[in-house]
Amino acid sequence: MTPHTDSSVRFLMGNEAIARGVIEAGCGVAAAYPGTPSSEVLESLVRWKKELDHPIYVEWSINEKVAFEVAYGASLAGNRAMAAMKMVGLNVASDPFLSAAYLGVRGGLVVVVADDPGPHSSQTEQDSRFFGWFAKVPVLDPGTPQEALEMTLRAFHLSEKYEIPVLLRPCLRVCHARQNVRLGNPAALADVGRFARNWTRWAAIPKYRLVLHGQLNEKLRTIVQEEPESRPRLILGDGSAELAVITSGSVSSHGRDVAAADERLAGLDVYKVDLPYPADAAALQEVVDNHETTLVIEETYPVIELQLKDRRTVLGRLSGNVPPQGELVPELVEDLLRSVADVPALDRPAVEVKPRRPSLCPGCPHRPAFFMIRKTFENAVYTGDIGCSTLGINMGAVDTCLCMGASVGMAGGLAKAPRPGDEHRVVATIGDSTFYHAGVPALINAVHTRAPFVLVIMDNGITAMTGGQPTPANPNLADGSPGAAVDMERLVRGCGVDHVQVVDPYDHAALKETLENARTHTFDEGKGVSVVITRRPCVRTPGVELSSQKFRITEQCDLCMSCVRDLECPAIHYVKGEKRMEIDLDLCAGCGFCVHVCPSQAVEPKGA
Amino acid sequence: MMELILCGRGGQGVVFLTRVLGQIAAAKGLNVISSETHGMAVRGGSINSHLRIGKFYSPLVRQGHADMLVSLDRGETANNRHYLRTDGLIVENSALEDEPGIKRIDATAIARDLGRVQLENVVLVGFASRMEGFPVSGDELRAFLAEDPRPAVREMNLKALEAGLLAR
Repeated sequence: MTPHTDSSVRFLMGNEAIARGVIEAGCGVAAAYPGTPSSEVLESLVRWKKELDHPIYVEWSINEKVAFEVAYGASLAGNRAMAAMKMVGLNVASDPFLSAAYLGVRGGLVVVVADDPGPHSSQTEQDSRFFGWFAKVPVLDPGTPQEALEMTLRAFHLSEKYEIPVLLRPCLRVCHARQNVRLGNPAALADVGRFARNWTRWAAIPKYRLVLHGQLNEKLRTIVQEEPESRPRLILGDGSAELAVITSGSVSSHGRDVAAADERLAGLDVYKVDLPYPADAAALQEVVDNHETTLVIEETYPVIELQLKDRRTVLGRLSGNVPPQGELVPELVEDLLRSVADVPALDRPAVEVKPRRPSLCPGCPHRPAFFMIRKTFENAVYTGDIGCSTLGINMGAVDTCLCMGASVGMAGGLAKAPRPGDEHRVVATIGDSTFYHAGVPALINAVHTRAPFVLVIMDNGITAMTGGQPTPANPNLADGSPGAAVDMERLVRGCGVDHVQVVDPYDHAALKETLENARTHTFDEGKGVSVVITRRPCVRTPGVELSSQKFRITEQCDLCMSCVRDLECPAIHYVKGEKRMEIDLDLCAGCGFCVHVCPSQAVEPKGA
Repeated sequence: MMELILCGRGGQGVVFLTRVLGQIAAAKGLNVISSETHGMAVRGGSINSHLRIGKFYSPLVRQGHADMLVSLDRGETANNRHYLRTDGLIVENSALEDEPGIKRIDATAIARDLGRVQLENVVLVGFASRMEGFPVSGDELRAFLAEDPRPAVREMNLKALEAGLLAR
């Protein structure tokens, strides 16, 4: 084969393809908060901006609500705008999202919400198509990275045409799939003209909201009538089969491949609905009526299925044929197709998978902080939070994990509900990015209510779990242009906290003393919430130099396993057969915390 | 048509290898689709990538359909073996001897000798490219890695590749 380079084709991740679509649509403002599997949308937007010298403004916002509002403001100003987030981020942004559906938009406004069926890296398996339905916002559901690029352009077009926000819902298997994607040409910045004052619309009181609700319903009706994406599209077969499969999103790709690869399934007609809300219910019903049996496969809620009025010949979630939770992987899709096509079920060998659990990196500054928290506050309830700091679970230093910022809010409740005889000590831990995102209001609440708990803010300077995006403490914005750094300590004091101390978690003695001071302030003296900021850059931050000092375990080791159990350092392991502990020098980051915490003092610097 | 699984622990560079193979194949004008692991698992957890070359729309390989399993970690081979066809080939980073259906190379030791254990993924892919049916050749890998704009990275990657191409 002769190699050729076609500069209009690139091997792109779904999220990169979406970002390319945002640029090609002439979008002027983009805002996001990182979260798997959505984070690469804004990251690659920054790269496209630089590569194409494009004027788009990009920001990592403090949270998804603010990201949506920034994008909405830009839309009102006449720009095309985008906000990107993961599905639980839409929960945070839900207040402006639902209201914006009523008010409508000016410049095209696209909200990219990445779903995580599985879930692989999330708290829920919620279906953002259903959220779109709830909010009365149209939802486009791409099945491949190529389709994600094309649908991004369509989303801006539809949004502007109907003056309505449009939700683009890629699932993980689109976001983190890569494919050779055909690129188009970036359009000039779109501009629908200057914002003009009109308070009955942009600041509508309830009386006008009723009018706007009527207009929103009319927009949705027109979209169903006018836009072909609302109708099922035949992607495999000729429409004459006895069996139909109706799909949406990345499951449609699994279904198409599975059916195409097996001639016994060749008799199926596979349909895809590109706009699962608002779908053309009559056109969907026609597919059902034209086939003896119809299987509906979609992730993760029965959105298409519920829009079908006569479901007597329909198999899906509501009939109990499709599992109500978990990712619909190709194997499951194959089993479903076989069962409706009367092809004998596959005898799949039982799969024994022992996945390695994720843990804090060697040298992670969270590790000594968690270790010392457990030592200083025995028998406390440890409320934890979202991000790398969740991994304190492995060290027995995180007991709860609800949602962004909940470590602080829940600590208030736990501390206010003591049972007689309990010491009811509560210690909350949260990462810096998560604290900015949703911890601040909860901390003000704790100060005001004199809630007695210790809050440890683990400040590594970045949003680590999602790949190191900058926080408001960074003096630069997403694309490196200058911003203003927010000072964490001043922020905490501004919330009304009197006792705030900053400490380097690598400094064993200082860390111990700082946590003990907080304990005294909050629990012994009863002076309310205290805050400890453990500050040291994430070991994965570019430019952070790891220590070249290595360590070894001496014969004083009595195999107590504290380094494995309590410190949970991935670089230390037990050597079977030799009955000894070993430090993996490939992994060791040289933090040296093990030297201080080994009960037998059996760790010493190499070369000592 | 070729279906491949790459696996290892978070931090070993499975995603990097997937992108290298995908980009080379895409540049040859082939249809490629792949799936990567991101998020919490990259903190030292189990990682795998799926790579499919041919007329595919789904990025996921089904159980029993992979032609080859390229593994950077022996423990992860066991976690991904079910993807392999019964006559499929395993290429594994391990100090053990070959077995029927398993070709091994101690890529970790070779990379450590080169001065950087993180190069184990490049050593392994060089070795894998010698296997019949592997979608990209050693020459194609060399040409691709030689385009890295960072001189130090380029030099180390090319050294590691040659080590994998020449080992044993």
